[in-house]
Order: sequence, then structure tokens, then C-alpha cells
Amino acid sequence: MKFIVSSSALLKQLSAINGVVTTNPVVPILENFLFEIKDSELTITASDLQTSMMTQIHVEAKEDGNIAVPARILIETLKNLPEQPVTFSIDHDTYAVEISSDNGRYRLAGENATDFPKIPTVSNATSVDMSTEVLSSAIANTIFATSSDELRPAMTGVYINLSPTNTTFVATDGHRLIRYRRVDVASSNGASLIIPRKALNLLKSTLPSENVPVSVEFNQSNAYFKFGNIKMICRLIDERFPDYENVIPVDNPNKMTIDRAELLGSLRRIAIYANKTTHQVRLKLTGSELMISAEDLDFSNEANERLSCDHEGEDIEIGFNAKFLVEMLNNLSCKEVSLKFSAPNRAGLILPVEQDPNEDILMLVMPVMLNNYV
Amino acid sequence: MEAKEQETPKIRKIIHVDMDAFYASVEQLDHPEWRGKPLVVGGNEARGVVAAASYEARKFGIHSAMSSALAAKKCPNLIFAKPRFERYKEISLQIREIFYEYTDLVEPLSLDEAFLDVTENKAGLKSAIFIAKQIREKIKEKTGLNASAGVSYNKFLAKTASDLNKPNGQAVILPEDAEAFLEKLPIGKFFGIGKVTAEKMQNLGIHTGKDLKEYSLQFLTKKFGKSGLHYFNIVRGIHLSEVQPHRVRKSLSAENTFEKDLITLEEMKANLHPIFEEVIRRIEKSGIKGRTVTLKIKYADFTLQTRSKTLEQYPDAETIWEVGLELLQQEEIPKPVRLLGLGLSNLNITEEQVHFGEQLKIPFEGK
Repeated sequence: MKFIVSSSALLKQLSAINGVVTTNPVVPILENFLFEIKDSELTITASDLQTSMMTQIHVEAKEDGNIAVPARILIETLKNLPEQPVTFSIDHDTYAVEISSDNGRYRLAGENATDFPKIPTVSNATSVDMSTEVLSSAIANTIFATSSDELRPAMTGVYINLSPTNTTFVATDGHRLIRYRRVDVASSNGASLIIPRKALNLLKSTLPSENVPVSVEFNQSNAYFKFGNIKMICRLIDERFPDYENVIPVDNPNKMTIDRAELLGSLRRIAIYANKTTHQVRLKLTGSELMISAEDLDFSNEANERLSCDHEGEDIEIGFNAKFLVEMLNNLSCKEVSLKFSAPNRAGLILPVEQDPNEDILMLVMPVMLNNYV
Repeated sequence: MEAKEQETPKIRKIIHVDMDAFYASVEQLDHPEWRGKPLVVGGNEARGVVAAASYEARKFGIHSAMSSALAAKKCPNLIFAKPRFERYKEISLQIREIFYEYTDLVEPLSLDEAFLDVTENKAGLKSAIFIAKQIREKIKEKTGLNASAGVSYNKFLAKTASDLNKPNGQAVILPEDAEAFLEKLPIGKFFGIGKVTAEKMQNLGIHTGKDLKEYSLQFLTKKFGKSGLHYFNIVRGIHLSEVQPHRVRKSLSAENTFEKDLITLEEMKANLHPIFEEVIRRIEKSGIKGRTVTLKIKYADFTLQTRSKTLEQYPDAETIWEVGLELLQQEEIPKPVRLLGLGLSNLNITEEQVHFGEQLKIPFEGK
């Protein structure tokens, strides 16, 4: 089998799906890209068994055929070649792959394409359409709050709940929770699924910056994303997601509204002085003044700042992990945020004051117990 | 290839201590008339549930989580004791004190069980088996209750071992025996394999560790996703979770090393005062009180001396300063002093307050 393709066009496609390839896969053949040519269309597949990505590119080929090509060497080669048409010649007896360019010839050992694991197809699928813009912002708003605790698999992904009126994306690590809701995406049949973090990270880096439609199909075990000429299929996390609606406090007598950038800046400075294991900062609301302070008794470090804010409710003092607050505030883009509390041992909420009418963002964070910094 | 030598991880010595029928035994301890009789802790109202069952009650097939109504049916003379969690907690703290005599690496799982990492221990003992035996004896002596213990090189194996010779016994799983032991273990007994997964495995023909071991990592990750790696490891005796202590602060203190050694008592008093002020500052910030005042003196020749006094009541700032001075003057200071420290122990923090400074978890139901 032989085919000719532009080196940079091929590199672009390979780079889009290369993130799936792991350095130490469960089966060695997964260090390869699967090349399949049919009617001059080259389909390239990368997989780690959990997640697979596919892309297509037109090539000049006289015959159909398949081969598995080592991913790392191929990408390195293409990266370092000046843009030009390159010829791939494959010996089907030895699986040797030879690449010829104006610069010279490169031989690498391919593998039998039939050894490459079969990529599942999604049958009996439910489907929903959204745009890359919606999907990217849903991922960006939630993925940072997922857990890496493999003993709680449900929390290692983002939960998506489709309903006839909206779509909700939820992530939690047990200490904080993000609920990102879109009213411009909906599905007449309600359904819910948990997508693993790795797949979402791959999507995040592959989704094009221009706004194109994404079609999402899923069944009990897999989800399938399609945009442009790229497809991704991932195994879903087959677990029950924690009942998140019940833990969102509704009664919050304390409500504070404050400039997001000011609060963020202050927290970043104060966090430097916080205890290195708890990252605890103390928020003390007195009237319309917010005092943020932290101390690390072991090193006699301490810092405090005062900010003014709008505040309704009783005076309150509550502790939080500064890293969580910084990360959450950093993920919002609004000018002002409101923070709602009820008690120093109850969940606090962070909500953007103004937001896109299609979006609804709610961030929940559990406090770090106060009173004593030991 | 990297030329760097690979460090072999040190084999840990982990003990899992598990109290035998804890709540029920406490009730029998406090009510001698109930000893040797079938007893459960839990309400006997219509919808009550058994929280714990004594060994005598277990003979009737009664176990925890069973409905009280069913338990009463199984054993007509069954004694129902109302749970007294305050009391269980009190005894649990006494037991925990014994653990802390050996190591600070104590991870309580509940009131009646805990993991201890005794790889390095305060008693300087080499044998974890011996430590486990001592701990069980001390628990019996101090509380009158029986405990079982398991000893091994990781948490999962230690916990599995504590079940082997229960009640009032202990067992060890040595590294060289672990594989053979795990091969025989029923699949549902593995750490992290719950009911649902166990069922799924049994449908695949996996009933014991040996069956599980025959499957490749590839197969397990394909079938069970990321957890596949955990199952693959655990059947090979690999479980890297560390003992995670919630440290309880035992003392609060401040100290200072001086640029020039102190010779006169006046110099020492003058230099002790800022240290005292720092202690007070920390007390005020933390809300901690302590009944024992300790003065630490390090001499120019680096020998160390501590002098302490325990008071009837938690002292106020003024008293702490007075006691500090008293300790400084109670004996002659024979040599130049390079460091002074002042501290409080016998603190007023109880288990409840250990949670201060702790990151709270989202109270998901059923978690």
C-alpha cells in the first residue's frame, strides 16, 4: 500500500488526536496510530481503550489498506520536516513503514492493523446537539472541581443531566461543587451520564476555537462526540452521581456582593500567609466590611486585608481553603460576585452577579472549621 | 536508561485494632447484670435497628443492621440497651491514648477501630506483633474490654488480618505469605470491592483472589475502568494508602535561641517575657487552654532540662507568667543558657475540637 499526503496537513490531524496516546498503555499497540485507507480517505485512530479519537484526511492512494504506525516517531518526524508531500509505502508482510520526502527516507516498524483494539460504536443512542462554545465553556467551568480519588469513581468525571428545558453539568470533589446550567441546550428525553475527566480534557484541547456544531450521542456505556472531521468516543463512568441538589443550601441569611477581581487579588496575597496544609483563610463580615486574614502559627506568619462590600444579614466569621476560593473566582468572568453563607460549618455559595442569560453558574464550597488554627 | 539507583520503598508495619462488639461490650461492662447475656444496642420500638450485638446475641443469628423486631423474634430474652454514644466516645478516647503511646500515626476509622503505623514507634520496638499484643493488653487493663488486632505491611492486609482471630485475638500476614493468603480470599472481602462489583466479578467466574489474579490489567481496566488497576494491585498485595492521622495538638509553646548565652537570672527573666507574650498571643488566637506549664532550658553545652507544674485550674495569663518565673527560680541555673521555651500542655481540646482547621466535606446522602 502506498499513499501521498501533505506533511503539515497530516501533522495537524495527528496532533489533534495525539493526546489520547499514553506513554505506557495497557497494550503496546496503543502506542500506535491506526491508519485505515478507503477510497483515498485516510481515517486515523488513537485509543487508550477508555477513550478513542478519530480524524479523517484526504490522501492520494491507489488502493485501500490498513496499518498501525508508531505515534511518537511519526509525529516527531513530521514536526521536523519542511512542509511537502510525503509518500508512505507499507510492506504488508513485514508491517514496515517507509516515509519518503525530498529530504530522505525514514523507515519505522509498524504493526498489524488487525491487532489494534476495535473501537466501540454507539448503538441505541440518545443524541443532543450543542455548539463548541457551549461545550468548551461547560468543560472549563466544571473540570477543575472533579476529584482524582479513584476510590470514588463517580466524582472523577463531570455529570451531565439533560432535561427538556435545560442541560446541567456538575462536578464535585467532595469539598466543592460546581453546577453549570445551560438553557440553550436541551433534550426532549431526559438522560444523565458521567464523562471521565480525561475525555473532557482531550475535548477541551481539541475543540476548535471557531464556533461549530458538536453532535453528542450516548447510550448506557459510551458517549460519542463529533465536530468537524474529528470524532471522540469515550467510556462513561458507570456509577451513581451523588445527589447534588439536596446539598445546595437554599436558606442563606448572609449575602455579600463584592468586586470579583478585588476579592481574588486579596485572597491571592493573604493565601501566602495561610497554613500550608489547610490553606485556611478567615473571612470576617462586619457590617459592610470584609476582613480577610490568615495565619500560620508554626511560622508566626500572618496577614490581613480589609475590603468593602455590600452585605445583608448578621455579622459572620467563616473559614475557607484559599486555593478553592481562588480557583473558583478565577473561573468566573463577571465583574461582581455574591457570596452566600448560613453558618461557619455550612456550605457557602459563590454566584456571579451578572451572567449570560443562557448560563446559570452556581459554585458551592465547604468551609474549613474556624476558632483554632492548631 | 537512568543511572539513578532505584530506592526500594521501606516495608511499613501497620496494625489494625478492632474492638470486639464494642458498643455491646461497653454496655455489659457498665451493667454487670447483663454480662454473659444476649444483648443488642439499639431501640426496640417497631422501626428500631440493631446497632451492635453482643457475642451471646450473635449466637442467635442476630447481627448489626438487623431490624429490632426480627432480633426480638430470634431471641425472646434479648436485652435492648439504649445507645450512649457519649460513653462510647469516652472509652474510645481512652483507647486512642494507648495508641498515641506508641505512635502519632493513628488513623481512627470509627470509635472502635483504627490503623496504626508503627514502622517507627515511640517504644522503639521492632516487632509490630509484640506492639499489637501490648496494646491489646493495655486496652483490657484500662477499659476491661477485648480488642482484636491485625498486623501486616499495608492497611488492607492489616484490616483483613484483624478479622482472622476475632474475638480477642490477633493475626499477622507476613509479606511472604500475603500472595498465598490473598489467593484464597473470597472476592467480596477485598478492600474496595463492594457488593455490586463482587457480583459482577462472580458473573465473570471470579470468586477468589486466585481467579482475579488470572486476569490481565488490560482485561480488568476494560471491564472495570480505572478501578481495574486497584483490583489488579490489591490481589498482588499492593495497597499504597498511608495511615492518615488527624493529629491532636498536645502542647502549645514558644521558644527562642539567644544570640548570646544568658548568665544572670535578670537576663533570663527579661528574655523569657517576650516568649511568654508569644505564648499568650497563640493562646488567644487558638482559644486553647492548658493546665501544665512547662519551662524548657537548653544550656550552652546543649544539655536540655524541662521543669513543669500542673495546676488545678486552667491558668490565666498572669498566672502563667508567675508559674514560669517560679519554675525558672525553683532551682539554681548551673550553666549559661542558650535557649528558653515556655509551653502549655494538658490542653482543653477534646476530640470534638480536633476538627477545627479541618476541611469539611459536602454532606452527600449515603456517603
